[in-house]
Amino acid sequence: MFAEIFRFELAYRLKRPATYLYALILFLFTFLFVIYGNGPASEKTNINSPYAVSQFVVVMTIFGMLVASAVMGVPVYRDVEHNTKNYFFSFPITERGYILGRYLGSFVVLLGIMLVGLLGIVLGSLLGPVFNLADNVERFGPIRFRDYAYPFLLFVLPNMFLVGSIFFALVAFSRQVFTTYAGSILLFIAYLLGSTLSQDLENKHLVNLLDPFGSYAYDAATKYWSPVEQNALLAPLEGDLLTNRLIWFGVALLVFGATLFRFSFARFLAVKLGKSRRVKEEGVSEVAPSLASLPTPKPVFSTGVYIRQMLGQAGLEFRSIIRDPYFIAIMLGAVLFLFLDGWFGSQIYGTPSLPTTYAMLEARNGTFFFFVLIVIIFYTGEVVHRDKVVHYDTIADALPVPDWMNYGAKLLSMTYVCLLLCGLVLVSGVVNQTVKGYFNYEFGLYLRDLLGIAFTQYFQYVMLAFFVHTLVNQKFVGHIVTLAVYIVIWAVPQFAEFGYRLALPFSGGNVQISDLNGFGHYLTGLFSFRVYWYAFGGLLLVLALWFWNRGSDSGFKARWQLARQRIGRGSMALFALCLVTFVSTGAWIYTNVSVQNRYLSADEQREQSATFEKTYHKYANALQPKITSAKLTVDVFPDEFKALAAGQFLIVNKGNQPIDSLHFTMPTDNFHRQLTKFLVDGKEPVKILNDTDLGYSIYRLPKTLNPGDTARMEMIVSGQYVGFANNSNSRDVVSNGTFFNVGIFPGFGYDDSQELTSDKYRKKYKLPTKEWTLPKQNDPAGLRDFLFTDDANWVTFEGTISTTPDQTGILPGQLVKTWTANGPDGKPRKYFRYKLPDFSDYFFSMCSAKYGVKRDTWMGPNGQAVALEVYHHPTHDRNLDRFVSSMKASLSYYTKNYAPYPYPVLRVLEFPRYAAFAQSFPTTVPYSEEFGWVGDFHDPDKTDYAFYVTAHEVAHQWWGHQIMPSRTRGANQISETMAEYSALMVLKERYGPDAMPKFLKYALDRYLSGRANEDKFEATMLDNDTRSYVWYQKGSMLMYALQDYLGEARVNQAMNDYMKAARFRQSAPFTTSLEWYSFLKAATPDSLKSWLTDNFEKLTLYDNRITKAEAKAIGNGKYTVTLHVKTATEYYDKTGKELAKGKAPLLVDIAVLTTDGKNKDGLTTKVPLYMQKHSLTPGEHVIEVTVKGKPVKAGIDPYNKLIDRVSDDNLVNVDMP
Amino acid sequence: MQLEINGLSKTYSNGVRALQHLSLTIKQGMFGLLGPNGAGKSSLMRTISTLQEADSGSIRLTGLSDGGELNVLTQKDAVRRVLGYLPQEFGVYPRVTAESMLDHIASLKGIANGSERKALVQGLLQKVNLYDVRKKNLGTYSGGMKQRFGIAQALIGSPRLIIVDEPTAGLDPAERNRFHNLLAEIGENTIVILSTHIVEDVTNLCSDMAIICLGEVVATGNPNELVKDLNGKIWQKSVEKSEIETYRQSHRIISTQLKGGKTRLHAYSDIPLADFDSVSPDLEDVYFAKISEKMEVATV
Repeated sequence: MFAEIFRFELAYRLKRPATYLYALILFLFTFLFVIYGNGPASEKTNINSPYAVSQFVVVMTIFGMLVASAVMGVPVYRDVEHNTKNYFFSFPITERGYILGRYLGSFVVLLGIMLVGLLGIVLGSLLGPVFNLADNVERFGPIRFRDYAYPFLLFVLPNMFLVGSIFFALVAFSRQVFTTYAGSILLFIAYLLGSTLSQDLENKHLVNLLDPFGSYAYDAATKYWSPVEQNALLAPLEGDLLTNRLIWFGVALLVFGATLFRFSFARFLAVKLGKSRRVKEEGVSEVAPSLASLPTPKPVFSTGVYIRQMLGQAGLEFRSIIRDPYFIAIMLGAVLFLFLDGWFGSQIYGTPSLPTTYAMLEARNGTFFFFVLIVIIFYTGEVVHRDKVVHYDTIADALPVPDWMNYGAKLLSMTYVCLLLCGLVLVSGVVNQTVKGYFNYEFGLYLRDLLGIAFTQYFQYVMLAFFVHTLVNQKFVGHIVTLAVYIVIWAVPQFAEFGYRLALPFSGGNVQISDLNGFGHYLTGLFSFRVYWYAFGGLLLVLALWFWNRGSDSGFKARWQLARQRIGRGSMALFALCLVTFVSTGAWIYTNVSVQNRYLSADEQREQSATFEKTYHKYANALQPKITSAKLTVDVFPDEFKALAAGQFLIVNKGNQPIDSLHFTMPTDNFHRQLTKFLVDGKEPVKILNDTDLGYSIYRLPKTLNPGDTARMEMIVSGQYVGFANNSNSRDVVSNGTFFNVGIFPGFGYDDSQELTSDKYRKKYKLPTKEWTLPKQNDPAGLRDFLFTDDANWVTFEGTISTTPDQTGILPGQLVKTWTANGPDGKPRKYFRYKLPDFSDYFFSMCSAKYGVKRDTWMGPNGQAVALEVYHHPTHDRNLDRFVSSMKASLSYYTKNYAPYPYPVLRVLEFPRYAAFAQSFPTTVPYSEEFGWVGDFHDPDKTDYAFYVTAHEVAHQWWGHQIMPSRTRGANQISETMAEYSALMVLKERYGPDAMPKFLKYALDRYLSGRANEDKFEATMLDNDTRSYVWYQKGSMLMYALQDYLGEARVNQAMNDYMKAARFRQSAPFTTSLEWYSFLKAATPDSLKSWLTDNFEKLTLYDNRITKAEAKAIGNGKYTVTLHVKTATEYYDKTGKELAKGKAPLLVDIAVLTTDGKNKDGLTTKVPLYMQKHSLTPGEHVIEVTVKGKPVKAGIDPYNKLIDRVSDDNLVNVDMP
Repeated sequence: MQLEINGLSKTYSNGVRALQHLSLTIKQGMFGLLGPNGAGKSSLMRTISTLQEADSGSIRLTGLSDGGELNVLTQKDAVRRVLGYLPQEFGVYPRVTAESMLDHIASLKGIANGSERKALVQGLLQKVNLYDVRKKNLGTYSGGMKQRFGIAQALIGSPRLIIVDEPTAGLDPAERNRFHNLLAEIGENTIVILSTHIVEDVTNLCSDMAIICLGEVVATGNPNELVKDLNGKIWQKSVEKSEIETYRQSHRIISTQLKGGKTRLHAYSDIPLADFDSVSPDLEDVYFAKISEKMEVATV
């Protein structure tokens, strides 16, 4: 019997066009993705590498879930839908045969569809090199059977089995096909929940196991693979990946078994529960009034009545929606995610931020938005088709109401739905804030954002969905077409890196709310785009009204007849009005975006970079003078988004050839910069070249500058934002929170930072491959320049900044004078004059905002007093003490160990969150609003990154401002690695060494991930010029390990010596990574030299692990612990290929830990009972140690001081027989 | 007041010709519309109810109280104001109570005054015997209850033109009786079009009728008159099932009916038929006689 049913099912499926449609969609999805060369992040990983294929297949199964819901939900539902169940089951078939036949028939088809998806990858890889759409032919590797078979067996089969069984079971038991939608949403929720939880490294295992698709477990297993490994390896089936697969395959078996054994025809046929709740008729009442006795009120037909009818109808529609159990289910899911996203928010170093109102509002852009789209697509469809679906249309359409009444009511009910969605954001936000004890509810902000921005955004999508559903006039087709339209207008442009909003329907809605700057400069652009797209939406809605289906004949002819009757004066006028608005706002936006400002697509930007390089690279070595003195006057006009910068400079020819012309590079972004005055020694230089497109100009000096000559240079530069641009993300001058730097002035010479770095694009534009950005450590030109600017060496600085009277203007240096005077526009302005007492590098921040300020003083041991200032947004006063205490601790540590602090003032100041970084200028550290000011540090276990980052930035006052690296390879390590090391030391002093593992583990994770996504090759500590994962993460780990081996004092002494040698070095050659390294090397004893060379000069990873630890009580609270450990040293080449194994012994921590403790700050710390360095040769070792106290965990390198490929296997629980 | 249908034609986009140059005049009172499935009854009803466009022809409602007339095909809104329509198939919002749904429809029919509307709704609910279950969601109603709800909504606003399409389908005999009584109560100066394929309903209720088949009118007039026309022309004979085909060849058989194990044939003939008995015709014979002129009548 089974065979018959199976064959029938298979044959039926193969006859359905839908089967081929699903396969085609999946095929296109995978084929296009591959042939367009989308894939792994690293440019060195093949698009069809086994790693990428597996990852792609996992994602495909998540989308495949949708196909599965369509394929596996229907086989039994078909018998419900067509009412064949009533006789079908009277045939001599068994329940098991029926279930198994239907199930397997569909399942085979489902697997077939997925195979077509795999085929898409194969064909994409075959044709990719032929069509070369990916700009990189070499990225298509060989096609190997195992690369596809393995993920098919590991992911496709079990995942489809799981979701297929679930959907099949849902329908078999509920007899409702909608449950499969609910089921897919739930599974999707399980998957997305993972992404929310996985933000914290601590939850990693849980997420790896919870995700039903195995995607996170796969990522975890392959995360640190280098490009070479990605191109060769398949994920080993072990650990979390194996457990995950077993768990979910088990669940699938369970569900399948339950369906097979619990299904019974009797139950399947039983009358639905809902029906048994039918109301019973009451007895027939004898006296019914006669028809003639009923009141006969006179009907009223007027616009007022119609409007009231519309409101009534809209209410009815809305009630029908919110009473729909599926709507309620979707809403619950939506609220769950809204709440979770709001609850976890954006975490920095695992530390949450305060639940500020803007953060609560931004939660709506997370997973919630996905629910919003679902609700809008499905319920617009429900509303549009409701009358037809429930057959009420035959009554409703013959009622004496105008078309617009019903049409308007349906549209109106969707506005209620949008408002409800917005309301959820408000409620979730306020609840979140209240539960977290944050009572600064900004209801005004909630309302403005939710009504002004969220609601208008959501309703745009309603207009589109309403239009599509009305024209398509079939619910399910409508859903699909709407979805397809959404994809075409949003996903495809993203694919093509196309972002011109004037041509992206219903775009133009991003706003970043800042506490400092409110909605800031975003509103004009946003409002213009809204008007533009609403006018377009209006056109769609008028069209939809004309073609609104009323009556029983929905044929094209009938609808055309109806439309002709409807096109009247009123609707024509409306149509014309929308059209005029659409065209005129379109013109207005075009003027702003493309005439007053400039829009370049990603491709055009790359092309511009390439042209810039091709045209001007020839000047890369043109000798330019250096600035030695800068006197600046900066006028900030926050309300006009304008700044004027005037500078008086002394320039010196420090080279050995005469200089006859000045080359300027000036950014061509939308901060319209103009050089309005330019004099050298009081004379105007002759402009020889002025390329405003690429921002390059050349001026002939009035008098040739011979080597050693000095000249006076005067410049006035104005910069201003005009109108609005395509993206409103420029942030230099804003109403409150202006922050730009000395880069407002043109820079000398050719700027090679504008060059394309990606090998792929350099190849596309026929540029030579660029392996290095910086020259070698012995390059004379590189040694002559400072790393961060080649415009100057050391300079003297004084400057005046003026701004509106309600703001404080801040430049680096000590404030020497403030006054108020009328500005050039006749309005009163406040002036602030600053001066740096000593030399500094040419790197000055220019800030203005309405600040509150906290002041303190640091007193050095030798009586030096440094004024400490924290300029902050008035309401951001929670964490000020953390900044101050970090500044004090840093000043103490660095002055003691490195060198004196050369300035009388040190300040931290806040700028709006349009960018999330902190940056150290001499004396002054601008710090993003996002970064510490609103951090929630109440849980002592969460990283105090305000303290940490401040320590890092203050360290740059030494490493980067006193020691100035030359423009050579590896020089960045002197600045960033040393700043990281310094911050770790200050942190260690503050929180204790046993609190450090968490930092080290983060650093290790980021280094290994950075290395895995490397686009070119990995460079060593001494050579690295561009990779931040080397200078921050690898650097901090190595320096931490070094001070652990050598002792902190010894490393610091070496750095103190280096400071003495290189601090404020006045003339070239400036310092290099080799010089820095020589001091470290000198401090390292011979026994550790091999470690030092392995880690600084080579690329070395360790594989330390403990396999087993046993303890035996020996009385007196003492235990003998036996540890089985393994250690290996692996050398890699720069592409990530293993070269050899090390043979030298490794000095490594062996530790036995007891239960975690708390330090005085309440921070959880590891508590070692035993922690000693052992010198271990590569291989396995059994180590026995005796400890006092109960051993809980034991391991090798438990704090992750070494760069270990797998950091999770360094500790195990101790077995206690 | 009367409804004048002239040369009405309609072809659907799938090629089905539902109405073919159909003309009919319907006076006040109860008008029965008979026809087999697919005859075009519902198409005609929907066209009169403004739910459907016609390809050609006209429908006019003439002799209105102000002496004017309405073009049903173009003045849809005006027609809807005097229309009460009970469609053959209809539904309601399942998650709304009968009372609030009826109240809502009443408001859509222009009964703007809340208290008047309430009194009307209460009265109608009592009239169709749904008063006790008025607070229940319509989704929980049985077929008969739903049909009664449909009747109630059609009667809102004292319509002058009432169209009921297969109204007694799904009603049990008692409910059908009550419905007939209700129809009988409707004022005489109202046009009531009753579309049905139950011949008996027309016999009982209608003073005027039409039979349509394949989109064309095949007979129209007073039911009694139509029956009278057939006097002496219908002949009957009981035969074995196997003989039916033979008789079909030789006679104009208009209907066959099983009775006590044998098949009873009705034949049409202006002159007496040998072996056949004379029988006094009824409306059903009229129906079959007229239909069989147009199409093969399916036999058991």
